[in-house]
Amino acid sequence: MDFGLTREQEMLRDMVREFAESELAPKALDLDEKGEFPFGILKKTAKLGLVGIINSREYGGSDMGHLARMIMIEEISRVYPPLGFCFQTGQIGMYGLQNFGSEEQKKKYLLSLCRGEAVMAWAVTEATGGSDPSKLQTTAELVGNEYIVNGRKIFITAGESASIVAFLAKTGEATSLLLVEKGTPGFTVPRREESLGLRSVPVSELVFTNCKIPGENLIGQEGRGLGLALTGIAAVGRTGAAGVSLGIAQGAYEVGLKFAKERNLYGKPIIQLQAIQFALVDMNVEIEAARWLCYYSAWLLDQGKKVTEIASEIARAKLYAADIANRVCIKAVQIMGGYGLIPEYHLVRRLRDALEMLPAAGTQEVMKVIIGTGIAR
Amino acid sequence: MPDNRLISIRSVSLNIIVCIKQVPHPEHFSRIKLDPLRQTITREGIPAIINPVDRHALEEALRICEELSGKVTVISMGPPQAKRALEEALAMGADNALLLCDKSFAAADTLATAYSLACGIKKLGSFALILCGNETIDSGTGQVGPQLAEFLDIPHVTSVSQITFEERNSLMIKQDIEWGYMKIRVRLPALLAVTRKVNQPRLPTVWAIMEAKNKGIQIWGVSDIGASPDMVGLAGSPTRVTGMSERDTKRRREILRGVPSQIAKEAVERLQELMAI
Amino acid sequence: MNEVWVIAEQRLGKLVNVSLELLGKGAELAQHLKVSLAAVLLGDKVQNLADELTCYGADKVYLGEDPRLRFYQSEVYANLLEKLVASHKPQILMIGATSIGRDLAPRVAAKLKTGLTAHCVELSIVRKGGEKPQLVQVVPGWGGNLMVNITCPGRRPQIVTVSPGVMTKPDRKERKGDVIMVQMDIPGELRVETLEMVQEEPSGIALEEAEVVVAGGWGLLSAGGFGPVEELAKVLGGVVAGTRPALDSGWIPEHRMIGQSGKTVSPKLFVSIGASGAPQFTTGFMKAKVVLAIDQSHDAPIFEVADIGLVGDLRDLIPCLIAELEESGLRV
Repeated sequence: MDFGLTREQEMLRDMVREFAESELAPKALDLDEKGEFPFGILKKTAKLGLVGIINSREYGGSDMGHLARMIMIEEISRVYPPLGFCFQTGQIGMYGLQNFGSEEQKKKYLLSLCRGEAVMAWAVTEATGGSDPSKLQTTAELVGNEYIVNGRKIFITAGESASIVAFLAKTGEATSLLLVEKGTPGFTVPRREESLGLRSVPVSELVFTNCKIPGENLIGQEGRGLGLALTGIAAVGRTGAAGVSLGIAQGAYEVGLKFAKERNLYGKPIIQLQAIQFALVDMNVEIEAARWLCYYSAWLLDQGKKVTEIASEIARAKLYAADIANRVCIKAVQIMGGYGLIPEYHLVRRLRDALEMLPAAGTQEVMKVIIGTGIAR
Repeated sequence: MPDNRLISIRSVSLNIIVCIKQVPHPEHFSRIKLDPLRQTITREGIPAIINPVDRHALEEALRICEELSGKVTVISMGPPQAKRALEEALAMGADNALLLCDKSFAAADTLATAYSLACGIKKLGSFALILCGNETIDSGTGQVGPQLAEFLDIPHVTSVSQITFEERNSLMIKQDIEWGYMKIRVRLPALLAVTRKVNQPRLPTVWAIMEAKNKGIQIWGVSDIGASPDMVGLAGSPTRVTGMSERDTKRRREILRGVPSQIAKEAVERLQELMAI
Repeated sequence: MNEVWVIAEQRLGKLVNVSLELLGKGAELAQHLKVSLAAVLLGDKVQNLADELTCYGADKVYLGEDPRLRFYQSEVYANLLEKLVASHKPQILMIGATSIGRDLAPRVAAKLKTGLTAHCVELSIVRKGGEKPQLVQVVPGWGGNLMVNITCPGRRPQIVTVSPGVMTKPDRKERKGDVIMVQMDIPGELRVETLEMVQEEPSGIALEEAEVVVAGGWGLLSAGGFGPVEELAKVLGGVVAGTRPALDSGWIPEHRMIGQSGKTVSPKLFVSIGASGAPQFTTGFMKAKVVLAIDQSHDAPIFEVADIGLVGDLRDLIPCLIAELEESGLRV
């Protein structure tokens, strides 16, 4: 087994790291405080080819694959997790259009998405529960060549910043995946939730009130929506969430490690105190384990494995990475004592973001259900 | 620039050569040790990067070629691992890469290095311009550029912070000096050693990174470049390291540790003693 | 024959200090070798400067004057020096490591196919049994106090550059020396030509003249910038300076950078804050009378080149130091 990254993947990592250190690190606190969607930065990443990294070149993508995407998300999230989360969520729609969309849809939307000029949201969750999507209540009634949509979506990431939204709605007995453009009459984004973390990528409520959508906006086949939506979430959203968690953990660990090497107590750096060193060792091992679970799941996708075949591998990556990210952040805070809770030390924002990763792309419990279903057969 | 002059330059496709060097990552400088026995520097296991200002030289070459059409060839003299630096350069957008690698090149001082690079460049064919960084972060002599220009019998300018194409074959250069600058006109072909001020280097894009593997890296040794063995490497180096010594600084090296207010007090007391001498 | 030469530099009719510093060292070397010390000066209407050079120790001055040499002309200067060296065969050439010196020296060395050692911090002569005397060229090595000795055993002349502030400027004495006019053979058209030279007046206290220098390094990142450095400098009545990383972070301007490719200083008190002590930095303050260093890591190389070292967080230590200094009324 060759566990090495290709030279190209190494160079990608170096490039994204340099971008993150020079462009994101100096602005991280400010961006987080303002809670604004980083459109300007998104465009810069698009120029580097990062936004369309799993899209084909004919639609403006750079087509480097899922492992490359995982590495990129990890490196960005190591410095500024909310931007990593933008990729987590925004690329679900880009994957959806690339793999399920019609030629017209691809031509119409993918180029501007790959350029970072537009952002796409993926709306499944409703008040009836994101973990139980079959119970959704949003309806799309086909009248002539239009769908009339009524319903309400909640906790939709980037809902207010997205100019294109793919959403799940009941068409008759089954569900379908449809697309709505911002500005369509009857489609509103009435409020955003002020959440604890990932403040640059707030979640919003989406409301459809007799919203008329052209028939061409159906993505894939009518009645097949649930499968497509969950595939997109698993392949891209869940792996992305794993990558963001991994990056958060790595970043928090490095902050704690640096502090432990520089902080002197009892005449020596505290990393020489076994309790502190062992805590850092635990973090070190957990992150490394999470990394390989994450990379493996992405690698499997690059090998052409279907999402249904590798559901457990993907779930494992997200489950473990999100879990350890929280543990690592809390341990790092403890290593830094009082300093750990002061915003300027860049740990608090990571802890907040780590918490947000727990329900992202499926709750930790749903991950266990997926893996449990696999083992209980 | 008036349009008619641009056209006359555009009709010539420029071959630009960029010299780069792979150096140890500055974060790891404290790990570099002098080997007293072999009297050389041990750099094993220390991560390496492209000398930072060399990236600015490459960026400038890429910009010139984008504006005026041409090709960029990167060249480096180094051990096999220097290939990685050339791969990065290709990923930034260079068209071709050449590594001069041979055991005989080792332990070269700047004169032997410049001679070897000159032999390699002569084998590449004609060029309009050579760009390099003003100095490296490890040895920092800034000598290879001018010496390379001498071996190629072309004019050179160092400390370059601005390059403007004037007319066919002529450049207007800003050379920075202490508390000022000089304006210099130089005819092509020429060698320019640039500083960081000249531009902001691009990051390689994903497309460029993937494109890089389609561009090969040529590796040439002493015989491939027709170099005289007595002018390369240690044999071709007039300067020699004859030894190492501890600097006699007579510093007290008194290190104070403890509660900040306490050691600050002690420090001030010591200072008063020392300053009174 | 076999003279010691200083290639003097003048800018717009003013000699640069480093040329005078090199005359001091040059005189010492020449005396040891029992040969003459000569200076080489090129320019336009600089006869008065030639006389100055003799007052600072040059026995002879080779003077090349031409209106076209008002500014430094790289090819003309290099070609001229090559010819002069070929006819007079000096054994040592010393050049000040200014931006112009660093432009000229390597070209000349390559023309003469001889060795060049840059940024020497010490120079001495060593003589072994029947062999010709060698110039020992000392440069900073890696790791704390290590110095590397270099020679150019087989070729002549031995060429070195020395940074401003490393050698000591000798006292000026009224004396007369030989001024030898050099034949100029400047071609009609030049491949590279300096058209203009602009020199501004340096602002603020020159770093080289300050009695107290407080320099900050990468470690100031934890303090969000140079605030602590500036505060401490204020209390001590000193000048703010920094390392290359500090320059790259935009905390200091270029002319306040200390080190191998920056400034060499010799103040009464030098304070280093948050700089781990890379040789390219520490070589810049070797001649300070007293060195105080502050760093997080007890094994930082900076402590090997300091008189007093304080280990700890600069965010705690600087305010304490400032309080103590104000209370004690320490004057430098």
